[in-house]
Amino acid sequence: MKNFKNSPQPPRWADRLLAWFCAPHLLEELLGDLHEEFLYQVNQVGEKKARWRYIREVLGFIRPFAMKRKPSSFTLHNNPNINTLFPNYMLKNYLVIAWRNIWRHKGYTTINGLGLAVAFCICVFLFLIAYLQLTFDSFHPNKDRIYQAYLFANDPEKMTRSGSLPLPLSPSLKSEYDEVEASTRILSTRKSTVAYADKYLDQDVVLTDADFLKIFNFPLVKGNRNTALANVSSMVINQDLAQALFGHEDPLGKTVQHIQEGRKKTYLITGVLANAPTNSSIRFEALIRIENAPFYQSDQNNWTAFSHKVFVKLKPEVSQAAFEKKLSYFTQNYFAATLQDLKAKGAKPDEQGQIFALRLQSLPKVHFDTALSNGPPLAIIYVLLGIGLFIMIIASINFINLSIARSFTRAKEVGVRKYLGALKSQLFVQIYLESALICFFGLLLGALLAYLLLPEFNATFNTRLTLGHLLQPGFLAFIGGMFLVVTLIAGGYPAWLMAKFNAVAVLKGKISLKRPGFLRNSLLVTQFALSCLLTCCTLIALQQVDYLRQKPLGFEKEQLISIPVGNQVNGRQVLARLRQKLASDPCIRAVTGSNINLGKGKDNVSSRTTIGFTYQGQDIQTDWVGVDYDYLKTLQIPLINGREFEVSYAADSVNRVIITESLAEQMGEKQALGKFLDINGQKQQIIGIIPDFNLYSAAAEKRPITLHLSASEPINYLLVRVSPQSLKTAMNKMHKLWRELAPGTEFTGSFMEENIDAWYQEEEKMAQICSLASGIAIALSVSGLFAVALLVMEQRTKEIGIRKVLGAQVSDILFILSKDFVRLVILALLLAMPLAWFLMHQWLNQYAYRITINPLIFLGVGTAAILLTLVTVGFQSVKAAVQNPVKSLKTE
Amino acid sequence: MKRTYLGEFEEIVLLTVVALEGNAYGVALTHYITEQTGRSARLNQVHAALHRLEEKGMVTSCLGEATAERGGRRKRLFTITAYGEQTLLDIQAVRSQLINQLPRTLKPSLNL
Repeated sequence: MKNFKNSPQPPRWADRLLAWFCAPHLLEELLGDLHEEFLYQVNQVGEKKARWRYIREVLGFIRPFAMKRKPSSFTLHNNPNINTLFPNYMLKNYLVIAWRNIWRHKGYTTINGLGLAVAFCICVFLFLIAYLQLTFDSFHPNKDRIYQAYLFANDPEKMTRSGSLPLPLSPSLKSEYDEVEASTRILSTRKSTVAYADKYLDQDVVLTDADFLKIFNFPLVKGNRNTALANVSSMVINQDLAQALFGHEDPLGKTVQHIQEGRKKTYLITGVLANAPTNSSIRFEALIRIENAPFYQSDQNNWTAFSHKVFVKLKPEVSQAAFEKKLSYFTQNYFAATLQDLKAKGAKPDEQGQIFALRLQSLPKVHFDTALSNGPPLAIIYVLLGIGLFIMIIASINFINLSIARSFTRAKEVGVRKYLGALKSQLFVQIYLESALICFFGLLLGALLAYLLLPEFNATFNTRLTLGHLLQPGFLAFIGGMFLVVTLIAGGYPAWLMAKFNAVAVLKGKISLKRPGFLRNSLLVTQFALSCLLTCCTLIALQQVDYLRQKPLGFEKEQLISIPVGNQVNGRQVLARLRQKLASDPCIRAVTGSNINLGKGKDNVSSRTTIGFTYQGQDIQTDWVGVDYDYLKTLQIPLINGREFEVSYAADSVNRVIITESLAEQMGEKQALGKFLDINGQKQQIIGIIPDFNLYSAAAEKRPITLHLSASEPINYLLVRVSPQSLKTAMNKMHKLWRELAPGTEFTGSFMEENIDAWYQEEEKMAQICSLASGIAIALSVSGLFAVALLVMEQRTKEIGIRKVLGAQVSDILFILSKDFVRLVILALLLAMPLAWFLMHQWLNQYAYRITINPLIFLGVGTAAILLTLVTVGFQSVKAAVQNPVKSLKTE
Repeated sequence: MKRTYLGEFEEIVLLTVVALEGNAYGVALTHYITEQTGRSARLNQVHAALHRLEEKGMVTSCLGEATAERGGRRKRLFTITAYGEQTLLDIQAVRSQLINQLPRTLKPSLNL
């Protein structure tokens, strides 16, 4: 036999052309004949001519008999001039029918539309928060080349990462490495005062380098980017501050006073920067050079004093990994002592082979790096997204379930339409349009709701969302996509299902109207499982937050007023005068001062000083807190041993300290009293030992604390203990007194209890959002269940009538009708609860002090869910069961 | 006399189908017509004629077996129906009747 594979072949494109126009049932024989003829022609006239003839033959088949044809040319649909999907003569009819349907089934429309609106509204908020968080710092065009530097130490006790770096690091980095295009230090201090004419404003003044303007792309509204911070006495301010200080005047060239902790300096305004967007990690109201920091002179060559952040911008071609590798010489050079210490402790290299290293975190990731910023952990963002998605899914499920359930009652209409010649595609479009119309109204209402609730939401959750954020193109595209998906699934599936109905069967009444269907059941289960999951998680989270709040902190937080001193007056002097004024007041129990606040006061400042020292070869870290006399008395911290600072001992204000139990433990001394700590070359004698207490959030473990009293350190907070009977009056009295003591400064005193609560703001906010979300989820699920129950009752009216006629009691019917639903809810609970337990167990693990999950929560939620189902379904069931059976049976 | 609708080319194709009894398919018919009549028939013309004949019920077809030179494709084999045969005979009858009624015999052209 000849090998035909190697024989000449006719042109492929001609075959493809034939396949395109030729009727499929003729194609095989025609191609066969053509190929056979081609081989014959090749033998007769040669390949080239044969190919020409082949093409001519193929073209010759463009004749009516061989062409593809529409099935029939008689029906209207096959007229190419009429668009079958949106025939203009039917469109009006669709809309009329849709409108009548929407109008007649008001309950159904309301549940669907309102449910979607509420879900959409909350989704907009949740997704917007997540969107803003996820796009943090992404507005800098060179964000991929900007990094925050941090020190990594693989300490055997605990791996540590710290963004706080010594002053000489940034200049050395820039001078020693060509890869660094720009490098800047950023030192944020507590608010300090900027004064111009008679205006004194407390502002965030950030100390930095000239490179700040080269690294970060905040548009410079006025001034020259290259020279704005060239001078040590230059100041660049943002637009808000320019407006507040100068109004409409030109700020450039004006001089302002900067007052910090009693020191004044005059600065020349050399530039105005645009306000940083809400989603910027770098926040400031004014920039000055870091050389103005009070400790700059003493620490500029000190590699062991860590004080500020460092940001670097690498050259475009430099990769982060390669540069980090090069930096190991740098750490070996400048941090030899630390490296030695770590090695002596037995530190092992990590997977990159380093014990101690300077590393880089890229700018877009800084916000979620809990070691480098106080942004929320990334997981929380995903939780928010997840909750939003859950709610949208629940709302869509409602929509699908209701549409499907109702589709059976519409079966007759569909049947008649089909019988009259409607195409499947036309039916689909009609029903889909109807769903899309409801979706659209729902979403419109949701958008309106979101717009109206925006201020309320901002106030409740302490966010600063604006309409401008809502209208960002990326976000709009996301919302548009969501709308499409929801209408496509929620509207499309039921439409497809109905379009599929067999017209004859429907008209004969053969479509099963009674069986609820596997899909609807699984959707109901999913819906309830999601709401139960949210509820369980929320309840457990609320319990944990409550637990943290109730936990004893080691000091009495009640009846304690804390007053931030501010920058304009000397805290020590104010404290002395306050003591004088209040000495004989019966409402006041004790007065003291401190350099740090407890909790988060109205000034919103929290600072922390820790000090490390060696005690008999032991490295010890402790919080270093400056206090005044009566500190223990005011906070009501008991003494275990020794005494408090007293005025009568002169040395108390020089080199005496009070330490906490755990510090004594770390020192390894049974009798720590009277021993000396060697701190920065100064011997400090221990005069008292107190139990551990929480300086910072109770969520964290208690750490060793050292209290010291020094006349040279500033007092930033006044603490006043008042008697329990007169809390309100005491606060008013303090307010009045403050005007006398520090005229012209704002009074920002608050109760310690509120300050402590503010510690748990993040948890609180999350718990609130979760409560709201789970409330909405439950409401949506129940409304869905309600509507499905309503439809089921409608469909089973006849069955109920027959049962009653045959002698069933109302209670029997109630049982029969509710048991299906209860069974589904129990299944949902069984799915949701282990998942909730697992998730919350993971979440709780991050807290040093945590609750154990109480199984009663699950029991409670389960009982509540079943009760809710019974009430929802029962309401409908009773209505159906007490109906006169004659009525329902007569309608046949 | 009843009219039969058969074009001249259709008639030739129909006659060829009878001649090639058992092996009447597109290519074979085309080649046979070309050889016998000296006119150049083309595949698409033959197929179109066969299609019309089938619609008129003069032929029936079935798919035959595949052969290698057709790239493994099957051929459609045509057979004449009784109605087709009757039609051919009718045409023949009409022609001979007309010829017989001619007042004189036809002379072949001088082809000496």
